[in-house]
Parts: sequence; C-alpha cells; structure tokens
Amino acid sequence: MNQTIIQFLKRYDFSFLGSMAAIFLVGVLNLYSATHAQSHEGLDLLWKSQIGWFLFAVTVAIAISFINPKTFERFAYFGYILTLFLVLLVLLMGKVGMGAQRWLILGPIRMQPSEFMKLGLVLALARYFTKVYPERQLGFKDLIVPGMIMGIPAIMVIVQPDLGTGMLLVFIFSMMIFYKRLKWRTIVTLGVISIVSGVLMYNFGLREYQKKRIHTFIDPYEDAKGSGYNAIQSEIAIGSGRLFGKGFKNSSQASLNYLPENHTDFVFAIFNEEHGFFGSVFLIILYLVFFMRMVWLATSVQRFFDSVLVVGIMSIFFWHAFINMAMVSGLLPIVGIPLPLMSYGGSSMLTFGVGVGMATSVSNSRNFFN
Amino acid sequence: MFGEEELVKIHKDRAAILSYIITAAFGLVLSRLWYLQVYKGETLHNYSIQNRLRKEVVWAPRGLINSRDDQLLVDNIPRFDAILTPQFLIDNEETLDKLAKILSTDVTEIKKILKKNSNQARYRPIIVKKNISFGELAQIESQNADLPGISVDTFISREYRDKEIGAHLLGYISEISQIQLPKLRERDKMEYRLGDFIGQFGIEEQLDRYLRGENGHEFVEVDARGRRKRYINTDNLFKGIEDEKPLSGMNVKLTIDRDMQVAAFNALEGKVGGIIAIDIDSGEVLTMVSRPSFDPSQFSRGLTPEYWRSLVGNKEHPLRDRNIQEHFSPGSTFKAITGIAAFEHGEIDENTEVNCGGSFRLGRKVYHCWKKEGHGPTNLVKAIRESCNVFFQKAANRMDIDDISKYAKAFGLGARTGISLPREVNGLIPTKEWKRKRYGQEWQAGETLSCAIGQSYVIASTIQMAVSYAAIANGGKIFRPFVVKDIYDSQGELVKTFTPELLSEITMKNPKTLKFVREGLFQVVNNPKGTAFARRGQGILMAGKTGTSQVKSASADKVYQKCELMDYESRHHALFVGFAPYDNPKIAAAAIVEHGCHGSSAATPVVEAVMTQYMKKYQPEMYLANLEKDKTIKDSWIKSLRAAQPVKPKPAEPAAE
Repeated sequence: MNQTIIQFLKRYDFSFLGSMAAIFLVGVLNLYSATHAQSHEGLDLLWKSQIGWFLFAVTVAIAISFINPKTFERFAYFGYILTLFLVLLVLLMGKVGMGAQRWLILGPIRMQPSEFMKLGLVLALARYFTKVYPERQLGFKDLIVPGMIMGIPAIMVIVQPDLGTGMLLVFIFSMMIFYKRLKWRTIVTLGVISIVSGVLMYNFGLREYQKKRIHTFIDPYEDAKGSGYNAIQSEIAIGSGRLFGKGFKNSSQASLNYLPENHTDFVFAIFNEEHGFFGSVFLIILYLVFFMRMVWLATSVQRFFDSVLVVGIMSIFFWHAFINMAMVSGLLPIVGIPLPLMSYGGSSMLTFGVGVGMATSVSNSRNFFN
Repeated sequence: MFGEEELVKIHKDRAAILSYIITAAFGLVLSRLWYLQVYKGETLHNYSIQNRLRKEVVWAPRGLINSRDDQLLVDNIPRFDAILTPQFLIDNEETLDKLAKILSTDVTEIKKILKKNSNQARYRPIIVKKNISFGELAQIESQNADLPGISVDTFISREYRDKEIGAHLLGYISEISQIQLPKLRERDKMEYRLGDFIGQFGIEEQLDRYLRGENGHEFVEVDARGRRKRYINTDNLFKGIEDEKPLSGMNVKLTIDRDMQVAAFNALEGKVGGIIAIDIDSGEVLTMVSRPSFDPSQFSRGLTPEYWRSLVGNKEHPLRDRNIQEHFSPGSTFKAITGIAAFEHGEIDENTEVNCGGSFRLGRKVYHCWKKEGHGPTNLVKAIRESCNVFFQKAANRMDIDDISKYAKAFGLGARTGISLPREVNGLIPTKEWKRKRYGQEWQAGETLSCAIGQSYVIASTIQMAVSYAAIANGGKIFRPFVVKDIYDSQGELVKTFTPELLSEITMKNPKTLKFVREGLFQVVNNPKGTAFARRGQGILMAGKTGTSQVKSASADKVYQKCELMDYESRHHALFVGFAPYDNPKIAAAAIVEHGCHGSSAATPVVEAVMTQYMKKYQPEMYLANLEKDKTIKDSWIKSLRAAQPVKPKPAEPAAE
C-alpha cells in the first residue's frame, strides 16, 4: 500500500500546483502589504479570505487532476453551453435589475460567470479543432465556426458591459488558432484588416469621449487629476520602487490611498513599489516557468485534444498576466483585468484552480490513465 | 490521416513560436519596468514623495513692541478655537449636545454654523467657537474620547495690551486680502501669499519687515484625500524637501512712554481728538494718542462683522488718526509764528504797541477781534497772552504773505515732518506762488490777515505744531520726530538704534525774538489775563498757546455767538500747543479736540495731563522745584493784581482766548 502511494506521488505532476503555490505566496504577502493600512475601508482582512479562496481552488485543482482528460473532451461542449447559459443569465438579470451586472449570486456565493466562460471557450475550441480536420492548416473558411464559438460569448460579455473580458476571449481565441496552424497568409491578412479597421474605427466609429480615453492613454498627464490619474499614480508607484524597492509594507502609494484598486487591478504596481525591478524579475520568472512548462506539456502529450486544451489554458493565464502588467506599467490602456493569483478575487482564483487541475490531469494522463 | 501523436508533433513549431511570443511579451514588460524604475526611477521616486507630503507654513512669531519705559505694549498670546471636522463626527446629536454644554451655547447655534459651512469638503475643520476659555479647553481635551470630530486648534493671537490706547500709533495686522495681494507684492517685492498676516497700519505697517520675521515650513504626510497623517522627519529625504524653522520677528522699543499714553487717553475721555508730545531735544515722540479709538487685537483674527460695522458706522471715525493723518486750521496757535516773522522782519519790537479797538478794517472788509470791546494798547507779549487778532493782523498787513510763510516753513509747517509712520499729511502754508498755481489768482492782501491768525489756507497737523513749538523752546532746532528707539533681534541683540536727526537749525536775526514770544506763551498760561490761565496745572511751568479752528466761517452776526450754542457739527475745534517747563524746556505737545469750542477748556487740560505725567516721571526734581516756582509766580500776580485793583483781588477768568 505504502509502496503504491510513494509510486503514485512520484508519478504525480506537482509542477503546476507548485508554481501556483509559489506565485500565490508572493501574491498573498503583497496583498497583505497593500491593504494592511486600509482598515477604515475594511480591506485589511482581505488577505485572509484570499487564503480561503486559494485553499478552495487548490482542492478543486487536486480533485480535477484525478479526472481523465477524456472526460473533459466528452463534456467540452456541455461545459461551454453551461457557462454560456450562466453568462446569459447574468445578462438577463442585469437587464431586469439595475445597470451593469457581472455577478451571479447563488446564496452566499457570488460568482462571475464570465471568468468560467474562458474555460468553456477553451474546452469547446479544443474539442472542435480535434474533431474537424485536425491536421489541416486554418484558412478564412475554417474560422467561421470557431469564430462563432468565440463571438457569441464575447459579444454577450461586451454587452454586460465588460469590454476587458470580451477582448480577452478574442485574444485567447487568437492564440489557439495560431497554435492550430493558422496560415501565415491569413495571419498577415487578418493583421492588415485589423489595422485598417482600427484606423477607420478611430476616425469614424469612435465618439469624442472614447477618443479622449485613447489620448489619456498616450499622454496621461493631459488629465492628471481625472482620467489619467490612475495611470500616473501607477507609474509613480512602479518607478518609485527603483531597483530594490521600498520594502515590504512600505508602499506609500497604497497605504495613503493614492493608487486606487490597489488590492485588485493594481497589485502589480504595489509589488513593484515595494520590491523594485529585481522583485519583478523574480515574479515574472515564476510566471514564465509556469507558462513554459505548459507549452512544453502541450508538445509532449499523446492526444491532440490535450495539447490544444493545455495551450488554451496557458493562453488564459498568459493574457491575464501580460495585459495586467502592461496596463499597470503604462504599455496598454487601463482595463479591468486582474493579475492571476496576485489580485484579490475568488472567481479568478477558482478559474486558475480549475485550469491547473486540468493541466495536471493532462500531465498525469501520460503516466496514469493509459 | 494522422495519428494523435503525429498531430501533436506537427504543431510543435507553432508551440515553439508561442514560447518565443510569451518570452518576448514579458521581455517587453521588463524593459518597460526598467525604463520606469531605473531610467525614470529617481524622478518618479521624488514624485511619490511630493505626492504624500504637504508643505505647511509654520508662522514666525511676530516681534514684540515695548514702550520706552520697557512695558510690553504688543504681545503674542496663544488662543484656542474649538473646531469640528464633519468627516469624523459620529452620533451627531449626542456629540453636538455635549459640545454645546461645554461651550455653554445652544445646539441650534452650532448647527447653524455647520449649515453655513456645509458646502465645503467634509474633512475640512469648521471653527465652532473662537477664543475658548481654558476651562472649555480642558473639558474638550479631557472628554476627547466622547467627542469624535471635535478638537482644539491653537493659534497665536496678536494682543495689544492697552487695547484702544495708542491704537493708531501701534496699528494692527490682518490677513492680506485678494485685492491687496498684487499691490503689496509689487510694493515690497515680497512673495506674499493669501492669508499671510501683514501690518496694515501704524508701527505694525511701518516696521513690518522687522516685526514679521520669516515663516518656516514643515512637511506633513497626507493621504490622497488631503488628510494629515503624521509629521515627517525630512532628514532622510532628498534636497528641497527640508523643514525650515521660522525666524522670529525682531522686537521693537518705542520712544513712547506708556504711562503718558494712559494719561493722554484718560484726558481725552469723552472727547474727539488727539495729542502728540515730543522731546524737544531729540524729536522722540513720547505720546501719541487719538480718540475715539479701536481695539487692534480684533483685526488679528478677522474682524467680526458687528465690530467692523461699529467702526465704520461711527460718525467720529475711530480709525482716523488725529495727529499725523489729519490737518486743520491751527487758529491762534499760529500767532506765535506770525509774531516771530514780524519781529524778525523788523516790523515790530518788544515795545511796539498797537491799539486794538475790537476790529481792523482793510478796504471794505472788517476783521473782528474775538474781544468785541478790544484789547486797547497791546504789545507782542500781551497780544500773545490775550490772543489779540488785531495786533497780528496789523503787523501782518505790513508784511508780505511770503515773509510769514518763510518762517512758518522754517518752523516745520507746511511739509511733512518725516516721522516714520505711514500716511502723514502735508499741512499747508500758502505763498503767492502757490495760490497762483493752485487757483490761477493773485494773492489778496486780506488773505494775509486771515492767515496771520491761522485761518484761511493755513493748515497744520498736531505733530507739525508740536515740532514748531519745540523749535521755539529749543532755540530753533527742528528735529525729525521719531517713534522707534531700538530694534532688537529675538535673542535680544541690538540690531538697529535710531538717533535724533537734526533737520535744520533756524538762526534768528534778532536774539530777542524768541525771548519775547516765549514770554508771551508763558503768560498765556501763567498770567491771570492769559487765555489758558485757568488750566495751568501744577509743577510743569508750561508755556503755550490756545487756539480755535473754525469749522464753518461765521457770518458777521454770529462772530460773537457762544460756541456752545451752535450745532455740534459747527462748533470750533479746540487747540492747545505748548512746551514745558518754561525755564528749562524738555517737552512740547500739541492737542486738538474736535468741536471742543475753546482751546483753554477743552485742549489745554489734555496737554497739561500729559506734561504733568512727564514731569513727575522723568523730571521729579524739576517738578518739585516748579511747584515752588508756581507759588512765587502766584504771589507776584496776586501782588500786581492788588496794586491794580485793590478792592477786588479776584483773578479774572478769561472767557475765551
């Protein structure tokens, strides 16, 4: 019996759970540091519930890791339809209720179905690409059905309105079709089309206030106290960290509230302020290890569905991490995208747990399930 | 068809590209971070410090003002305001009830104040009550826990210890207003800011740059909403962010004597007017008081609208200084100058007698003497003593107005004395040239007659009259009057000391001129026939001249009308100018009492009170000796009176001057 357990533990892939724990550890310390001084806002206890969410997510991950990836394939469309239904439900409830609605409230649990929608999309696309001419290079015609699989939820999310998550679905989709050998010709054509339509959109499609938003992104100091405020304060927080940072719990931007949302979207800025450039190098390496391991896993599985699934999961987290870091440091306009495992938030944590569970399951399947 | 493993294999190169894309993406993020944290790190680090630091002014303690006898006149005293910060207010009703109880006011009053300020940010404190007592302070501090949002603000108040006494001299400080700001910046080349306190009147204005000191600053940490978090030790921060301690203002010692100020203030009780007294051998101003007055302390913390209304609405204009910022016809007090001019000009000598028949006719105009029946044969001494108009008019008629003006100007009239206080008036001594320029008309001989007795165009301030009589007393020396003796820094080191400044010295052609003018002035006070005899005082051996300044020129039928029967507004101003002691002059003084009617009854007692205070305090031996001399003089005039009127040895009480 003991022998079997040791044997099992030796063959079980802990790398994803390990990565998750490492990043989470950095994240929860950073969250504590960013919010400890904000007792009047009631934020100083967030780190405790974040730990709770983490433990829940890890449990989910481990549970999922024991499921045969073939099951994922079998239930892929079902998962997609289910999450799509939840998103629709939120949309309808939002219409009935007041204004924007991203949350679905089930008793004591509030969840954000658009988070799970990403997983649903990845499952459905993986399944589709595996079944329909898996060996073929994708051209324009081949994008019609996958485009609809992505487009329907994307529009629903954008209508919520949650432009950030909607765009995220597009990016995840892009990365997956790229992996599924989208023809270079098509890639170039798509690139040209998006640039041209972008220019046309800017000149004819956008309203003045939307143009102004783009201007503030290009030069946030144009409206330093208004729309440019967050971007500027975020840059100040990052820059003031310099090489080595101000040290743990020493962020003045957070403790004095100059940087709003410092427990969610702007945690990375606080991390930079406290730990400087070298701290960020360390954190980014943690993320890179995680992503590279996933890419490697995608190339070393025996089943194509598993490969596409892992790339999809990887792209969810990659886009979150990259967009968040880029917007916080001023490379992209500010959109509400959390940094996985660093930002406070249960739904995001749970998505991550499910993703890690699936990746682990795929990895383990090479040793266990065959 | 491909096998599953084959499928994975053909996607390997895309996976490789994906790994490059991911690496490149994070490389991009890292290079951006390098740009922000290394290339722009220093700048952004400074921003983050400036972000949370607020520079707060630490007010420099303003310099103190002392009198010549080392009594503190102006002080800085900590005062306390009860303040309320709406943001931190919990249990509104309960807290406000408690506060109202402590401040012994009504809750509705406090609510009214809150309502008035309800449009400002909630973190900004509101003053609930200014100047709370120590008892109230102690209660608020001790019940701190039960009074969320209530606290006490300390500030330094400028306190003028004698309140209204000498307010015009000391002046006041108040906040620079929006309107003043650009003008003052231009004038002083100083970077004043709104809310800075600045001397706006009197000594406070004149010596502002000495008294003010230099404000310091300190840095406090503030959060994004501007709430103060804590004081920052700025030692470890970068250049430019350093606390600076304030530099205390310099202390000033005045030439003013506090006891004489009090005596002068009391002597002016119930009157509208002013008095100024100067040391004749230096020009030091010993006393300068004007009434009605105001309490300068009220200005340092923003005037209450009620107090401001009471000042502005007062018909007597409490804010106006009667000594250097106002001028008036000197009336008969000018006769001493006319006398000197005539004597020096050779028109009269001590023996010249003029017959005063009660009036003097020039052309078709009749100039009346105040004494209807006339003074009879009159010489210079008698003319001064009994203030005979006809004598001086006849003397003046033989001269040119420019001859009189020459002497008047030499004795310090018609131009600013140059006292180092703001807004001194010029006064006016007319000349032919002046009239030509001013009115484009030739001088009329009749005008000379009016000017000779200090009416018409002649105007002067009390300070000018005091300077001219000081020159009569000291043999012709004109000193620039001054009010500041020494300036010390806050450590007590002498920074600057002011010495007497002799502006000019008049050389008399005739050595007898001043002797007989002084004799006349002496008799005004010390001879039973003198116009100020009834108010001569004791132990001061005063010499001087009474005067009335006509507010409205009287029509012929009203020349002899009793002043007291006129409307208050039409009554003459009463004047007295003199020096003391006669045989060894030390002090000269001039007083005006507006609408006081008679120089003798209204203005002389004011001068007498100040001089008595001076003699007792600064010349006690002379004072005692003078008491003896008073007796001798009394004996001599009683004797002479008996010789003249053996039946009725009663001193004649002069009706007017």
